[in-house]
Amino acid sequence: MPADPNMKILVVDDMSTMRRIVKNIMKQLGFANVEEAENGQDALDKLRADSFGFVISDWNMPVMTGIELLRAIRADDKLKGIPVLMVTAEAQKENLVEAIQAGVSNYIVKPFSAEILQEKMNKIFK
Amino acid sequence: MLNGSPKLYDELGELARYLETAMRKMADVGAPMVAGSAQLPQATAHLLDLNKMTEAGTMEVMRLTEIIQDNRAMAAKEFASVVSTLEAVDCKTLAARLGKTASELAQDDKHLMDIMTALSFQDLVAQRVKKLVTIVEDVQCKLVELVVVFGLKQESATPETQGKAGEMLKQLEASKSTAIKQDLADELLSEFGFK
Repeated sequence: MPADPNMKILVVDDMSTMRRIVKNIMKQLGFANVEEAENGQDALDKLRADSFGFVISDWNMPVMTGIELLRAIRADDKLKGIPVLMVTAEAQKENLVEAIQAGVSNYIVKPFSAEILQEKMNKIFK
Repeated sequence: MLNGSPKLYDELGELARYLETAMRKMADVGAPMVAGSAQLPQATAHLLDLNKMTEAGTMEVMRLTEIIQDNRAMAAKEFASVVSTLEAVDCKTLAARLGKTASELAQDDKHLMDIMTALSFQDLVAQRVKKLVTIVEDVQCKLVELVVVFGLKQESATPETQGKAGEMLKQLEASKSTAIKQDLADELLSEFGFK
């Protein structure tokens, strides 16, 4: 099922520049309903308080990392169905395996292009 | 207790001499070590400044790019509206020309998006700087431990002025106070009669 352009998307990254980049790309791709969170805990609070259709998360963050957020989402009955795309500079094989085992929907290595982000979204929402 | 053990006495003497030499050598490197440990917090602060500077620059490029993107989106809508109006009044050639121009301009949308994504370099730089800061802080802790353990703290040590590192640090520090903004430069220029 193609992605609903009105779905609420949560971009999680401790770097404001990265949040803005991803938000901008999403807007250009036709998704204007994008919110931001600074770390995993902030994201989890927002996810529990509202209804989101997609999460794009960084890996390395203070307070709660991306992989911890992913595990928390998959362990939560209300949130476990939300697709999570991990965007990270951690290109190590072990990290990818860890993310797959934790239930990641797809994985992008920084730096990435808008085309790659779109391609990954298409795969997630096909 | 050492009576009757001349060999042990000799060995203890040798050990004492060795320890004294070692302490003297440690004292020789004491000043640079004290200086080094004192310089590291400043170096760390400058590294963190790099993050702030690149973040500010990146944000400004993003802000301007977003303005251009919004303006282009509005222009594209206008183009489409004019093209359909021209088609409605049977100005097909003009409409086609305008349509072609609009699609050529639309290619810049991709370039603008590429500019935005290229700015992710800032995140990668910031992450590496953070790691470097952690390493520098760790080295600083170890240096301080050495300074304390070997009692190397010297009142006369002048940390900022020692070695190349000290010189570079001085330059970095000086740039904080000597780097002026354009408005201040203009103010100074006008004071000297520049218009």
